[in-house]
Amino acid sequence: MSNTNQQSTPKGLDPRGPRFGAAITSVLMVLVIYLSLAPETINLALGIMIFSVAMFVFGTALGPAKHPYSYLFKYLVRPALKPPTALENATPVHFAQFVGLLVTGTGLVLHLLNVPYALPIAAAAAFTAAFLNAVFAYCLGCQMYLGLKRIGVIPSKS
Amino acid sequence: MDFRIAIIAVLVLVALAAGFWWRARTGRAKLVRSGEIVDLGKLKASRAGKPVTSFGKKATLLQFSTEVCSICVQTAKYFKELESKNPDLKHIEVDLTDRMDLAAHFNVMQTPTTLVLDRTGKVQARIGGAPKPNVIQQELAKLEIK
Repeated sequence: MSNTNQQSTPKGLDPRGPRFGAAITSVLMVLVIYLSLAPETINLALGIMIFSVAMFVFGTALGPAKHPYSYLFKYLVRPALKPPTALENATPVHFAQFVGLLVTGTGLVLHLLNVPYALPIAAAAAFTAAFLNAVFAYCLGCQMYLGLKRIGVIPSKS
Repeated sequence: MDFRIAIIAVLVLVALAAGFWWRARTGRAKLVRSGEIVDLGKLKASRAGKPVTSFGKKATLLQFSTEVCSICVQTAKYFKELESKNPDLKHIEVDLTDRMDLAAHFNVMQTPTTLVLDRTGKVQARIGGAPKPNVIQQELAKLEIK
């Protein structure tokens, strides 16, 4: 969250890009839940979770415009769509990536510390947020930002 | 049925229900009885670099935003459009990102949150989330703005 200001100035994002990314995340999280609930496939689930965490690391470090899914969207999906009616500010989407990293990263670390069901629970939380974003265009992290800041989860600058 | 499929099905249904519930609930107006009169001195709002010192002639839409809120931008755009059509209406936007004092004072937990103020700056209604256009029109009609 250190470079939010430089992310908010450029021309903006096609709002369908982040929703496309959220749809991919939803599917991956369903796979993690399914595979992590059987001992013989749990390592496959772990692999998918590591991949997802890595994607959120990219999104948080590089910003949503340079996210790998955003390139997928740009070259595979967008050519088939009409031009966007409005562009979206990158800062909220960037923040959402950070929230995704927090949720999936916590699940991954707890799993590696042998906490039972850490993977499916974290995946279920990430799925819910990503699914609401993909289907309803609802940005959970964005709406909760102020609430989280007020109860001190997000430190205040001032 | 595989219990794992059942778990995923329940999760999808819960997420869908939450989504529809949110969609139905967001953007509706809650009437505020005996609301406070907003103190512009404490608000320290500015428009185009100048401090805001007065309310709209008939009504004011006071919008609270944060920098990480994409629907806030769309909401502000919509309010500005309304304002340009109604000379008696004023739109004031305050970014709460670094104004936790105001967030606490007005008990704002989500953004955008919009307060509908009458000509004296008294809070009449509160709208959480992106306001539905008919909701805004109804609230403004009560304050004699068409």
